Amino acid sequence: MTNSLLFGIATFVYFFAMVLYVSYLAFRSEMLGKVASLSMLGGVVVETAAIGMRWYESYQMGIGRAPLTNLYESLAFFAWTFALIYLVLERKFKIRTVGAFVAPFPFLIMAYASLNPNDIQPLVPALKSNWLISHVVTCFVGYAAFAVSFGVSFLYLFKARSEKRSPKSAGSFWDFLPSSAALDEIGYKTIAIGFPLLTIGIVTGAFWANVAWGTYWSWDPKETWSLIVWLIYAAYLHARITRGWRGKRAAILSIVGFAATIFCYLGVNLILSGLHSYGG
Amino acid sequence: MTVDEPVKTTKTDETDWINKIWNFLTSLKLIVILLLILSALSIAGTIIEQNKPLQEYYRFYQPGTVALFTKLGLFDMYHSWWFVACLSLLALNITACTMDRYRGIMAGMRKKNLILDEKLSKSLQNLTTIRYALPLDAVEKKMVELAGKGFSGKHVVTPAEDGGSHYFFEKGKYSRLAFFMTHLSILIIFLGALVGSFFGYKGYVNIFEGEMVSQLGTRAGKIQKLNFQVKCNTFHAEFYPSGAPMDYRSDLSIVQNGKEVIRKTIRVNDPLTFEGVTFYQSSYGGQPDQVAIEVVNRDGSVKGTVTAPFGQKVDIPGVADKIGIADYQEHLRMPDGSEGGRAVDVHIFPEKGGEVEAWLLLDHPEYDKQRGSDTYFRVKDLKLKKYTGLQVNKDPGEILVWLGSILLIAGIMIAFFMSHKKLWISIRTDNKGRSELTIGGTANKNRNAFAREMEHMIQSLKEVS
Repeated sequence: MTNSLLFGIATFVYFFAMVLYVSYLAFRSEMLGKVASLSMLGGVVVETAAIGMRWYESYQMGIGRAPLTNLYESLAFFAWTFALIYLVLERKFKIRTVGAFVAPFPFLIMAYASLNPNDIQPLVPALKSNWLISHVVTCFVGYAAFAVSFGVSFLYLFKARSEKRSPKSAGSFWDFLPSSAALDEIGYKTIAIGFPLLTIGIVTGAFWANVAWGTYWSWDPKETWSLIVWLIYAAYLHARITRGWRGKRAAILSIVGFAATIFCYLGVNLILSGLHSYGG
Repeated sequence: MTVDEPVKTTKTDETDWINKIWNFLTSLKLIVILLLILSALSIAGTIIEQNKPLQEYYRFYQPGTVALFTKLGLFDMYHSWWFVACLSLLALNITACTMDRYRGIMAGMRKKNLILDEKLSKSLQNLTTIRYALPLDAVEKKMVELAGKGFSGKHVVTPAEDGGSHYFFEKGKYSRLAFFMTHLSILIIFLGALVGSFFGYKGYVNIFEGEMVSQLGTRAGKIQKLNFQVKCNTFHAEFYPSGAPMDYRSDLSIVQNGKEVIRKTIRVNDPLTFEGVTFYQSSYGGQPDQVAIEVVNRDGSVKGTVTAPFGQKVDIPGVADKIGIADYQEHLRMPDGSEGGRAVDVHIFPEKGGEVEAWLLLDHPEYDKQRGSDTYFRVKDLKLKKYTGLQVNKDPGEILVWLGSILLIAGIMIAFFMSHKKLWISIRTDNKGRSELTIGGTANKNRNAFAREMEHMIQSLKEVS
């Protein structure tokens, strides 16, 4: 099927982008950086076509549904959102150097997706809802923003340490990266984008659950984990107001928050059971 | 306050304590730690499966562990006293913080410092003075036009003693209210959940096709009477060729005082609400009304036929045994995990010895042969009574939950993406006859973006000619 071929090409382009981002950091050539961003954009364009094609093909098969309803599709969509959000934030905050730490994700996610069955299955009754798209899209864009914040926070920890060790080491590798203060700020701003989206994702999910299952909150593992993620980032946002919690502690909270996000997304489906086990 | 000296000392002691508690309740540390504790506790609840029947826990844990966990409330931890206590502390914390911040936020919204005086000038980082060769009123007109673009609110003009004017512009004053929106919304959601648990109920009811119910069993184990009757006209389940479910739908009628008030076909994701009670398509099933069973000899010849109504023991012709229909399944799972299709569960009561259970598969009529007895059974005819399984929910607190959710989202958006911006501009004619404009501004949030905005405006003002 055409969509699988296109997804394959997108995976390959993401791989290429990852290599370019890493070499950009290694050789520090602006030209390489531009090509890296462009190839990531290329990956997004190809994958957009792949998702569109899959959607179209589902209609041709007489199923007709958004390609967001099993593990393969959700991973592919996650990679797509991730790459897209990263590119937007890269442009907005001028953080191309972070790319080497963030760009591997779309490729790795796609590679993992390819290990899962990718045939187009019709929808079970519970998923037949107009809430599907708004719920999934808001959650995933939120996840992607948290992922970028994770990359930035991770980098912050290294950068802050190198700044402490040698404050004036002009020309060193770490010098090429944004200052730790800038990384701290970007880490916060990306969470400021992800948090409202996660909130909308949880609320649309609760609303949908109420329509489908007759209860807006049932402490199902997926719901609970999304609440855990929400609580951690809420703690982050409050912590950051106090001066002592900026920088290192905030960065650690952001990393913990993303670990919880990943568990909420994948761990719950793979390890725990519950109402949300469509992907497993 | 006018208080006598001796009284004051004792009061201070008391206020000291109150202050300490108040400071604890309004501290950021408390909220951060509380949020992290709540998330850690919630994790425990996803690792230990909640609200399972006790016998299932005994399969996983030692009896001692089960006893301990039951005592600690770990099997229903989201309703345990300690989890509820944490949530209550959070609510208290939010209430205290809201009260604590109330005055400051209201003060921030008040129009004060309308004049760019010396004290204010010192506190502004972007203070800039521009001089023009143009007449004062021309500069004034251009300036109001330019500043009005970024600060759409109505500006305040105060005439100065030296013949000039002080302008005060502001924007996004009400964004300061976002604090109340985000924090009170959580309290509203809590309140909604409380209202739901005290004045609402969740229950479950099976209705056979063509039958009516006027009461149901709640999850709390009580019988809930309805002010009306619910009738299931028909139920349909459709499946994809793969066997995966495609659609479940029940044609329901609400009957009140003997009259049909509403009729609606409900599906998963499309429930029916009447008088605040909502009916959700949740499950379905069938109960054999009457099953005609053939008694077959091993050589394939039919010995006789027995018709068994559900749940009754009937004699088997030609044999001393009795037979009863105990269960029916639409999709029987075979011992090897495969799909067995429609199946009737029969209990055979031999004259001597214990009762024997057997599943008769409708799609594999010879299946019972494997039991190895002298005669085997196969289903000749099955009259099925289908029922729809409905989840029933009444939750008067729901509306508060949605209200709180919308308020929360709106509040977060405003808190992150809007700020209260203030701009002061003073204009006057200086002692050399030139028009002089002094500009400065502040924002309560996102100061970097505001600094860029100011730079931009100052640049445009400089270009006025």
